[in-house]
Amino acid sequence: MTKPDFIYAPSLKKEFRCKVPLPDTRQLFVVNGTVQGGGAPLDIRIGEGERMERMLQIIDVRDSGRSNELSYCENFNFGKGALGRIVKCSHTFSLDSFRTKEKVTISLGEDSDVEFIVMQNEHNGAEHDTSYEIKLESGARLNMVFLSLHGGVVRNNVKVSLCGPHADCNLSGLYLTDGEQLMDYSVDLVHEVPECRSAQMFKGVLDDRGVAHFNGLIKVVPDAQKTEAFQANHNLLLSDSSRAYSKPQLEIYADDVKCSHGATVGRLNEDELFYMRTRGIPVREARLLQQMAFANEVLEKISSRELRERMASLTEKRLRGEFAHCRNCSRNCC
Amino acid sequence: MDAMLKITDLHASVGEKEILKGINLEIRPGEVHAIMGPNGSGKSTLSAVLAGKETFTVTSGEILFEGRDLLAMSPEERSWAGVFLGFQYPVEIPGVSNVNFIKAAVAEHRAQRGLPALSAAEFLKQMREKMAYVEMDSSFSSRGVNVGFSGGEKKRNEIFQMAMLDPKLAILDETDSGLDVDALRIVATGVNRMKRPDNAAIVITHYQRLLDYIIPDVIHVLYKGRIIMTAGKELALEIEKKGYDWIINDKA
Repeated sequence: MTKPDFIYAPSLKKEFRCKVPLPDTRQLFVVNGTVQGGGAPLDIRIGEGERMERMLQIIDVRDSGRSNELSYCENFNFGKGALGRIVKCSHTFSLDSFRTKEKVTISLGEDSDVEFIVMQNEHNGAEHDTSYEIKLESGARLNMVFLSLHGGVVRNNVKVSLCGPHADCNLSGLYLTDGEQLMDYSVDLVHEVPECRSAQMFKGVLDDRGVAHFNGLIKVVPDAQKTEAFQANHNLLLSDSSRAYSKPQLEIYADDVKCSHGATVGRLNEDELFYMRTRGIPVREARLLQQMAFANEVLEKISSRELRERMASLTEKRLRGEFAHCRNCSRNCC
Repeated sequence: MDAMLKITDLHASVGEKEILKGINLEIRPGEVHAIMGPNGSGKSTLSAVLAGKETFTVTSGEILFEGRDLLAMSPEERSWAGVFLGFQYPVEIPGVSNVNFIKAAVAEHRAQRGLPALSAAEFLKQMREKMAYVEMDSSFSSRGVNVGFSGGEKKRNEIFQMAMLDPKLAILDETDSGLDVDALRIVATGVNRMKRPDNAAIVITHYQRLLDYIIPDVIHVLYKGRIIMTAGKELALEIEKKGYDWIINDKA
């Protein structure tokens, strides 16, 4: 068990240390699947009624040294009425090609309230496959935001089970690809009981020969009346050879529900572009403003202002084709 | 005085269809020209070609702006040079706030002139001042560009942007369409306040109404892609009374 107070990494190589840590945040490093400072696998437990005053940042680092194939687990458990704020980042720190398989379980007790941000920024030689198993008890609230900024192959398999009434689950995601990158999201969300709410908003910006898949299933079991479930997947193609595959699915076995889904694949709006250019905004900046406007719908789901601004700035750098590193830090965390 | 804008035998098409069939027009600093004409005569095409919209192909002719070849310039370069188009249908840009939009535009204009960026305080001061020109509430600045704005609010936003960018040549494409009398007065007052001996405007309109507020020096009647009549400001009243038929029958 790793308690959040225990965030301390005496054996951590100096180059891993974050030079510009987020304010009011504790950091925990996991290097090649090993928790720095002890304890494996990572097992975060926030007890009943416990409130995390500070955000906990889990920094998963892949570095050369061990086998390039690696699988590990991380567990997050939030007790009844707990308040949790987690940001989990994945980075590759050496140029080796990596294959990482990760299993993350997140379990939210009754009336717990959790914000969970996932940021993935790895190099093109990295293949990272994560399966999330998420469970919400009655009255639990989850706000989960995925930011897949960079990576050779990124697969996120997200299974969510709403198993107590009045559970409320918001999932959002932003994935950016260029070169030959592949991002593959698969969401399988099940309303097991009545009167829960879920909302999904996944958006992708794809350039070059980048490919993205979104498979999103919402399942409402026969008894899960008064369910509210929404899903949206929007993709912006910046090049002729980028591809987005979107497969929204609804399986509804209850008759008194409110469910909707929508998926789009499109390009930047030419009228907007012309309008901005007539005001003197150069075409490159105008396109960037449009992409940021598109991405902001996901970014604004992050409630911490510092984290949101940090992520927005990384996203903007990424969309400009620059290395996505934090301000005042020259290290390229990817 | 030398012409600020000189259009010579301008022909432009969309696809196979020729819309402008030989436009000649000269505008000097300090002048306000009105272009009137029935629907489909090519008024909006002319303004779009001046602003650099790529939907239209210029097949022949020349446009010189302060002696420079306007047609060789991108839309943003035209803006930096001092050309401004007020859109008939201002575009909504969800997710880009009005303030960030105009900030990006002003910053680029200044950078192009080799001027340092404005301080945040100075920028906001200018913004407040120019919003007051068109009686725009400050709450508009944080909203998405034109998103959810009424017709009148969109047009006021156009004039606000114009005031911020301080163009040499403003082309106002049917700025009066969709405006009630109050909004029309506000928009026209905004335009008139910006009038100086060293700038000029082209006011494109259907109706004489706007020309009660913005008094033109010259009125041109555009019909089927050609200017078929040029006269003084009295022409607007005559058109209001008798329509276009008498001119068309006489000239075409």
